[in-house]
This record gives sequence, C-alpha cells and structure tokens, in this order.
Amino acid sequence: MIAVHDVTARRGDAVALDGVSLTVDDGEFLLLVGPNGSGKTTLVRQFNALLEPDEGTVEVDGVDAHADPVAARTSVGMVFQHPRDQFVAATVGADVAFGPENLGLDRSEIDRRVDDALGAVGLADERETPIASLSGGEQARVAIAGALAMDPDHLVLDEPLTGLDLAARRSVVERLRALHADGTSVIVVTHDLRDLTELADRVVALVDGEVVRDGSPDTVLDDLDTLGVRDPRH
Amino acid sequence: MLQYVPGDTLAHHLDPRSKLCVQVGFAIAAFSSTAVWWLGGLYALAGVVLLAGQTPPQRVLRDYAVVLAVLALAPVLAGLALGPPWFRIDPALTSLRAVARIPPVLAVSAVYVRTTPIRETRAAIERLVPGRPGQLLGVGAGLVVRFFPLVVDDLRTIRTAMRARGGASRPVTDRARRLAVQGLDRTLARSDRLAVALRARCFAWNPTLPELRFSRADYPVTALGVLLALTPLVQSAALSPLLAVA
Repeated sequence: MIAVHDVTARRGDAVALDGVSLTVDDGEFLLLVGPNGSGKTTLVRQFNALLEPDEGTVEVDGVDAHADPVAARTSVGMVFQHPRDQFVAATVGADVAFGPENLGLDRSEIDRRVDDALGAVGLADERETPIASLSGGEQARVAIAGALAMDPDHLVLDEPLTGLDLAARRSVVERLRALHADGTSVIVVTHDLRDLTELADRVVALVDGEVVRDGSPDTVLDDLDTLGVRDPRH
Repeated sequence: MLQYVPGDTLAHHLDPRSKLCVQVGFAIAAFSSTAVWWLGGLYALAGVVLLAGQTPPQRVLRDYAVVLAVLALAPVLAGLALGPPWFRIDPALTSLRAVARIPPVLAVSAVYVRTTPIRETRAAIERLVPGRPGQLLGVGAGLVVRFFPLVVDDLRTIRTAMRARGGASRPVTDRARRLAVQGLDRTLARSDRLAVALRARCFAWNPTLPELRFSRADYPVTALGVLLALTPLVQSAALSPLLAVA
C-alpha cells in the first residue's frame, strides 16, 4: 500500500502540493487527473522518493520512502511521460536489464526478469532490437517493461497514452489491464480518460495541489470540464 | 548517428577489452609516423577493421563529416601565405600527412562504438581500471555514448524547426546564437530528465555487469593491439633508416 500523509511540496514560492493525503491499496487501479500544473507529477514522484516533501510523509508498504529510497523504487515502478527520456541503452534488452542490474541480481535472474517483462508487454522477440527503430507505441511498452523488470508491486505511469495512435493506445491499455488482473496496483496520471475509465477502480482529482475529488469514475464524470480532463464519452 | 547496432559480425563477437586494446594500439601506431607507406598500412588495416565490423566506409564518413571537414581545412590553412606565391605546397603536404593519420583512427573507433554495447564497454573499463576511478570512467563513458546522440538529435530538431519558419533567411550569427541557446537549454533539460530516470531505476555504482570472456579470436586481436602499441619502439630501434629515406 502507498500512504501519503499530509504532504506539502513547494517549488520556490509556489505550492505544488498542499497538504495532500491519499492511500493507494494493493491491486487498485487509480487514475490521477487534473489540469496542467495541478501537482499530479509532483505527487507521484513522491511515491518512489524522486522528490522529497517539504512537509508530511510517504510510506510504501509501511516503510518511509525517504528513509529507504531503494526499497521504494523497487516497489514502485515509474514510467515517465516521454519514454525516450528514461532509456539508458541502445537495445530493448539492455535497457530493460538496466534496473535489475542496479539491484545487483544474478545474471540468470536478470535474464529471467527481462524475458518476463518483455513477454508481459508483447515484445518478447525484440530483445536485440535497437530502441530507436521502434514505433512510439512500442517504445512506450519498452518503458513499461523497464519498470516491470524491477518486479514492482505498484506501477505509476505518467501520461502513458499521450501521442499514441489508436492501435498503440489499445496495446498499452491491454497491457495495463493484464497487469492489473495479475494483482499489480496501477496508478495512471492523465488528463485524458478515454479507454481508461472502464479499467479504473477510483479517480482522484487534483487542482492547485489539493485533492478535490476522490471516488469511483462515475462520480467525477459530470465535473470533468472544471478538472481540465477530456470527457471519455466524447 | 554513431551508436551501437546489434549484429553478428566478428567484431560483435570479440571481447570489448581486446577491441579497446586494438583501439589504443592503433591510435599509438597512427601517431608514430607520417611516412606515406606507414599511412598506407594504417588505411589498409582500418579497412580490415571496417570489414570485421561490417561497417560501410560511407557510414563513417557521414558520422564524422564535421570532424573530417575541419581536418580537411588544416592543410589548406597551412599552405596559405600572406604574399607570393600565396600558397606553399610543402607546409600543406606536411600538414596533410599529419591530419591523414586521424581518419583511420576515427574509422576504428566507429567500428568499436557500432559493435559494442554500452554496458560491455563499462564492464571492460571497470575490469581494466580497478576501483572508484574505473567506476567513474565506466559510468562516464556509458553516459556520453548514451547522451551524445540525443544532444545531436536535439540540435537537428532545432535547426529543422528554424528552417520550417524561414529561419534560413536570417544572418548566420543569429542562427548560431539561437541554436546555441536552445541547444544548451534542451541539453540541460534532457540531462535533468535522464538523471531522474536513472534514480527511478535505482542507479548503482556497482551493478551486475555482463560477464566478459575471451574467445579464441580475442588472443590474436589483443596481440595485434599490443604490437601496434609497441610500433614506436620498434620503429626507433630498427626502422629509423627506412623512415629517414621515406
């Protein structure tokens, strides 16, 4: 479980998060929505200690994320908005192996994790393929595989569908559905609910660094305009 | 763009340490003489290395186009004179023979980069240079190889964006200034994002690196590298009369 307790985060004089409290249960599929600059990315980067709160605490599976950032980053996989920013190797297999290698695992365990992660995103045969030769949708799936190879209990995806064509969107959504079905909790940061509402257990809306809605997808559908979110019904 | 390309060539199967040995040895040998026959040998050997990595020479020319253009300027500048005869052949030829040593070194390095995954380079460096210095060198080399193509891509994108809005009609200085400012801005932003991504994936100074193993082909290749590195000594001891004649 991820538990955020009264977290405040500032960027200079601006308040990015203002006393946010939130829990994400194991196996939950949560959509985090809100207009640009509402603090969504700042919030999820607290989950694996990439950012430190000015006030409050973040616990991952009962452990303070900042006291043990490696444990938090192992438990919370993160997929960034622009997949290209997170690639650190030229080929698919080398990039997916990067995280497990950093954990100091045996080569056989690293290979197993890379195979499993690539299989989970439907790229099992692309291990030796240069990332640059892949389409945008395939690169997004490699980025997800890179996070999955850390064997996370929770997976955070920051705008995973942005810029993808219809086929790529469907492919990524299907992978998320399968991961959720396997028991991984999935947190998707987005301002486009198309394709995602039927998967979500819960929607949390942030505006100006505060949680303004927290409930089932149905409860926020009438307020989407004010939340800066694209209506999935249109 | 010069970067690792998966393949099944002889160079791909070699241990990165033996390739590094040839790389260093070749560079030492290249700068040990400017004799024409020596340069001919260097170019022939560079051709063999290109074949071993199945790297087309035109690919190397394209990847190093800017460097080669600057090198080509050197003999021209060396030959220029401020008075009659305005251009002197001898200094230009001396300069040409000096800069002619660099392209084959670049070709050999291109084969290395195209046939060696970054993490194997890191593993090789950390094996060859033990301790913290090796880790620093390995991580540094890995990041440069990873980061450089992205920076070049960004610069190309900025140039294209300027051209798309009629930027080509602006003075060169204005275009250069915009390219420099925007390029620096994007490079800093990109390095920021890369740093965050590295932390998110538990970047470690002592990760599990690939196992390196010498195959039978690596022994003669390493011996070649050592031999090349020793050529200045051999030349000074035995070949100096020949070089003097050449």
